[in-house]
Amino acid sequence: MKKIPKLTFILFLICAITAGILGGINELTKDRIAEQNRLKTVKAYSAVLPADDYEEIPLTDALKAAYPSVDKVSRAANGSGYVVESTFSGAQGMITLAVGVNNSFKCTGISVISHSETSGLGANAASSSETGVNWRAQFLGADQNVALKKAGGTIDALAGATITSRTVTEATALSIRLVSELG
Amino acid sequence: MNIKKQFKEGLITNNPVLVQLIGMCATMAITTTLFNGVGMGLSVLVILTCCNVVVSAIRKIIPDEIRLAIFVVVIAGFVTIVDLLLQAFIPALSAALGVFIPLIVVNCIIIGRAEAFCQKNTVGASFFDGIFQGLGYTCVLIVMCVVREFLGSGRFGGGLIDVTNGFRFTLDGTGGGIQIFPADYGASILNLPFGGFITLGCLIALMQFALKRSKKKKEEAEKAPQDEEKEVA
Repeated sequence: MKKIPKLTFILFLICAITAGILGGINELTKDRIAEQNRLKTVKAYSAVLPADDYEEIPLTDALKAAYPSVDKVSRAANGSGYVVESTFSGAQGMITLAVGVNNSFKCTGISVISHSETSGLGANAASSSETGVNWRAQFLGADQNVALKKAGGTIDALAGATITSRTVTEATALSIRLVSELG
Repeated sequence: MNIKKQFKEGLITNNPVLVQLIGMCATMAITTTLFNGVGMGLSVLVILTCCNVVVSAIRKIIPDEIRLAIFVVVIAGFVTIVDLLLQAFIPALSAALGVFIPLIVVNCIIIGRAEAFCQKNTVGASFFDGIFQGLGYTCVLIVMCVVREFLGSGRFGGGLIDVTNGFRFTLDGTGGGIQIFPADYGASILNLPFGGFITLGCLIALMQFALKRSKKKKEEAEKAPQDEEKEVA
């Protein structure tokens, strides 16, 4: 029975050394990672509503209950409007979308932050290709009644990606409505 | 064990993906752009080399009963270090590879080499084994990326090369690559996971074919002189 304490001790020692080294590395990289994450958000947000910085604003419980798919709302530091980040279920998985809304409740741009849509079809909604850029440009100036052509609106659906297009359009309409309720 | 033999084993005759058939999950999932392939390959190479060195350095004090637990701790440690460093310094790569960096912990190549090689060999031999096996893995990833990117979206070097303002390398993953034919004509099926299966299957078949042929040739070459001798006699 002498063996078990010895094994435990060796395993403990190796785990302790590993944990110590990892703690050190974490301490060294922590600030840089936080900074990189902030830059990533600013970069994604400035594509839809240009500003130097964004300040997250707390939502009331009533708004949270009315808009469960909204992750967070941030106000542009220069006062030009709001960016709404929301997550919706797309054709293949969840789509996280940032929508810029100006003070007269018009869309200033949309940007897909993360998605897992079909490559070559729904993924065009997020791509930096000509198709993707042109498709997203349709949302510029849209108001809270924005809808696909099929539903009587003005937005052309992406070829072969009706579900993705509908999700993104609905998310945009919802984001604008939320901002208009913020007042 | 000499270095030349190890080099040949890692890259060709005992290639981790094409011959040992391990570590295929990430191979199929991430090989959609050259940027991902090179980044993943180099990450695995670094982690594999570090783990090999540490495992073979402590191989004499590791009790046999708990060796797997210790290997996993060592591997997970190095993977976390690489993960943190990537997040801090190459965030684009970290975002592109996503969950596949933490998943290197359970990549069979690393635990396989620890178990099959480093346990029985010196630190020096294990170091070179890590480098060559890592290179073998990286080469497969690069070939897969080039094939899938070209046939799938008509591009070469996505994320890594930018040609809009003259030729330059982009290490932040923003380069658009060289468009060889319009993306709309590509077989976008190859960008999907099962395109990865098909590409990998073809590569493995090619590799096995080449290995079998070179083996046959070798045997014939060994046989031939003996036959001649008989005839003379």
